[in-house]
Amino acid sequence: MSNEENEKKLDSGTIHPLSLLAQEALQVFSDMGFEIATGPELESEWYNFDVLNVPKDHPARDMQDTFFIKDSQEKNFSRLLQPSAGTFHEKNSSPASLVLRTHTTSVTARAIEQAGKEGRIPAAFISIGKVFRNEATDATHEMQFYQIDGAMVGENISVADMKGVLTQFYKKMLGEEVVIEFRPSFFPFTEPSLEVFAKFKGKWLEMGGSGMLHPNVLRNIGLDPKKVQGFAFGHGLDRIAMIKWGISDVRFFYQGDLRLNQF
Amino acid sequence: MNISYNWLKWYIPEAPEAEKLVDIFNYHLCEVESLEKKSDGDIIFDIKVLPNRAHDLLSHQGVARELASLLNIKFVDPTPKYKIPESKLTNLKIEIESDKCRRYMGRIIRNVKVGPSPEWVVKHLESVGQRSINNMVDAANIVMFDCGQPTHVFDLDKVSEKLVARMAKDSEKMTTLDNKDCKLETSHLVIADAKNVLAVAGIKGGKIAEVNNDTKNIILEVANFDPTSVRKTAQALNIVTDAKKRFENDLSPELGSYAMLEFSALILEMCPLASFEDVVDVYPKKQEVKKLSFSVDKISKILGVGISIDEIKNILKKYNFEYSEDRGSFEITVPPMRLDLVIEEDMAEEVGRILGYDKVKGNIPKINFKPKVNETYSKILWARHKLLNDGYSEVMNTSFSNKGEVSVLASASDKNFLRTNLSDGLKESVKLNQANAPLLGVEQAKVFEIGTVFKKSGEEMHIAFGNKKEVKEMTLNEFCKEISEQNSSALLQPSAGTFRQQNSAPIFKMWSLFPFIARDMAVWVGEDVKSSKVEKIIKENMGEVVVRGPELFDEFKKDGKISYAFRLVFQSYERTLTDQEVNDIMTKITNKIKENNGWQVR
Repeated sequence: MSNEENEKKLDSGTIHPLSLLAQEALQVFSDMGFEIATGPELESEWYNFDVLNVPKDHPARDMQDTFFIKDSQEKNFSRLLQPSAGTFHEKNSSPASLVLRTHTTSVTARAIEQAGKEGRIPAAFISIGKVFRNEATDATHEMQFYQIDGAMVGENISVADMKGVLTQFYKKMLGEEVVIEFRPSFFPFTEPSLEVFAKFKGKWLEMGGSGMLHPNVLRNIGLDPKKVQGFAFGHGLDRIAMIKWGISDVRFFYQGDLRLNQF
Repeated sequence: MNISYNWLKWYIPEAPEAEKLVDIFNYHLCEVESLEKKSDGDIIFDIKVLPNRAHDLLSHQGVARELASLLNIKFVDPTPKYKIPESKLTNLKIEIESDKCRRYMGRIIRNVKVGPSPEWVVKHLESVGQRSINNMVDAANIVMFDCGQPTHVFDLDKVSEKLVARMAKDSEKMTTLDNKDCKLETSHLVIADAKNVLAVAGIKGGKIAEVNNDTKNIILEVANFDPTSVRKTAQALNIVTDAKKRFENDLSPELGSYAMLEFSALILEMCPLASFEDVVDVYPKKQEVKKLSFSVDKISKILGVGISIDEIKNILKKYNFEYSEDRGSFEITVPPMRLDLVIEEDMAEEVGRILGYDKVKGNIPKINFKPKVNETYSKILWARHKLLNDGYSEVMNTSFSNKGEVSVLASASDKNFLRTNLSDGLKESVKLNQANAPLLGVEQAKVFEIGTVFKKSGEEMHIAFGNKKEVKEMTLNEFCKEISEQNSSALLQPSAGTFRQQNSAPIFKMWSLFPFIARDMAVWVGEDVKSSKVEKIIKENMGEVVVRGPELFDEFKKDGKISYAFRLVFQSYERTLTDQEVNDIMTKITNKIKENNGWQVR
């Protein structure tokens, strides 16, 4: 190595592993024709829950699991919301409470809704963003973590298509030898619902949820379930990073310690 | 939910061995969280019943019926073995005053004897983690774990006139069987007699009509309650019971008839001299019979695999669904317990999981869609790339803070606010990493974060970067202002690989939790001596506790000689190193270097 190269290496900074992984993941999906989507972290109950067919009295909406924003009704905090495709629907969600988004499926919902209005169906979106859960932290739980969430809708988009897309994704993330499989699961926003497992270093590991978008969700974002169908999935980016690199504690990601930036 | 293998075998004697069942659960029904082998030979599966099957699978019969269909093996119907002696006329009065009670069945049984349960009952309860209390309570529990229907027993002689399912009156009180005082509200459904509240419906029984050793005559309760009402009431009273868990998931009121039969038969087995009265069944609105239509084409289209009409017929037969079919269009009569089957897509799931999702072969679809460039993401990439090139390293700090402008209602941590800036967190990161600078191989820690902050006016994407002298913070848009002035190609997304470090580690290496000691060493050698030669000697003599180095950080020539400066960082994974032992290592290296003619250590 010449001195010049050596200096250059010493001079440039190190990237956070989750950023590196996120960039690589988004690249894989871009290569498969997905559009990158972004959206607000402070989200309306409508996009976080109602639009996704989560019933009003569903346990996930308890305060023990979701961060609700204080005084979001009284102080008319709804102006905190970024302008979005969904303003039309918001009136259906009353009273308008705000939450810290518990998944980036809300971003997917917003993106597909917008695409539908613009006549851009079929469509495919991928987003990676910070999500929040109100739970005590330990080596495998954090109050904040990153989710990678994707969806594809069209006339004939099927479980088989999802299997192809997710197989390609996990091969690029964890290695060409990786295989994936689906097992039965349940989520309010998908039907059928599936749990995705990846076989990595001889072990089947649970990667996250997936399924075919529930007809109610499609209707809620202005699409006709008789004409379009599609898949959606939401997996933990932190978890993929931990598996890929053998990182033992999720809390390392958020401690600001540069010794983590090894990749 | 704990499921006993021996208990399952009552209903499916041909069940495959337990290990094989684990795969069948995992791939066709729900996850097995653990498998426990008991000393008596029984095997307990802890299965994670999915919420949409909690209507029918939180019971041994439910699971057995599902497995029998899935595996196409015999299901032994227990109904014929439960025979109740001819019952007598009854004067039991039951009233339903709220539609939150969907069915209420009661039966008076006289001349019972409260005492210990038969051994099989004790064993069965133990197998699913329950303790035997007495034969009456045990019978109720067996019925619940067997068929999924929660039940209750009242002491008839402590009940005044009648049983009423009604809403509680304001500030009405009840003491539970486990001596907890509940203050009830008008939104709580209760079971009462003419005077008092006897039970919080579907959740917990009360003290007043408790069965004890002196009880002679009882009323069996088999009822059905509105799931939302049960959930909200239990939450308000902070009571969690197995009954509550089942009711809040919505049970079919049709289950009641069988449960009453099994419950009565168990009491008869325990008290052969008991005398049975007629069942009083108040069932104002019978559960509707639902039909569900679906087509083989739609199911194939959802799953992305060709399913044949015969494959579907075969499934419907195994599951004993009544159906009709016309050129691939099916209509089924949904069994009352299968409240999860409502829309066509539910049948796609049914077919998919029963056949197994391994039937589905992956395919990467090509769709007619032109992705747009996401401006926010492009800016983030551009900013990150620029900061990395400028020598800043990236951190991600918590979004929560103990002060701010936006707060959350309740938090599992002590930080109830959302951050209004990145700088506060970044300053901490600078401090932490400055202290570790030798470990990181840098002179000074330069750190950045790209992230969201939350202000009264809304959320904003910010960038902060800095070192120990100063930290700058601005919005992402401000930071990226110069993009527009430049060639727009700056917005093109650089390929991901650009960011990967050279020699990037294949796996994470945990750092040592013990303190480190950094030492520098400058060596004068002849101009023609390469640094690698010096480095080799240092390496050979530095021992096992060097975590970083030797790193050449300085070199210059003077008077035909050249000076190489190396840094070594010592740290142990097992203990705190002493200055003395590091000094000894340095001395050893120094001595080795001096052995070379004309080499000097400064």
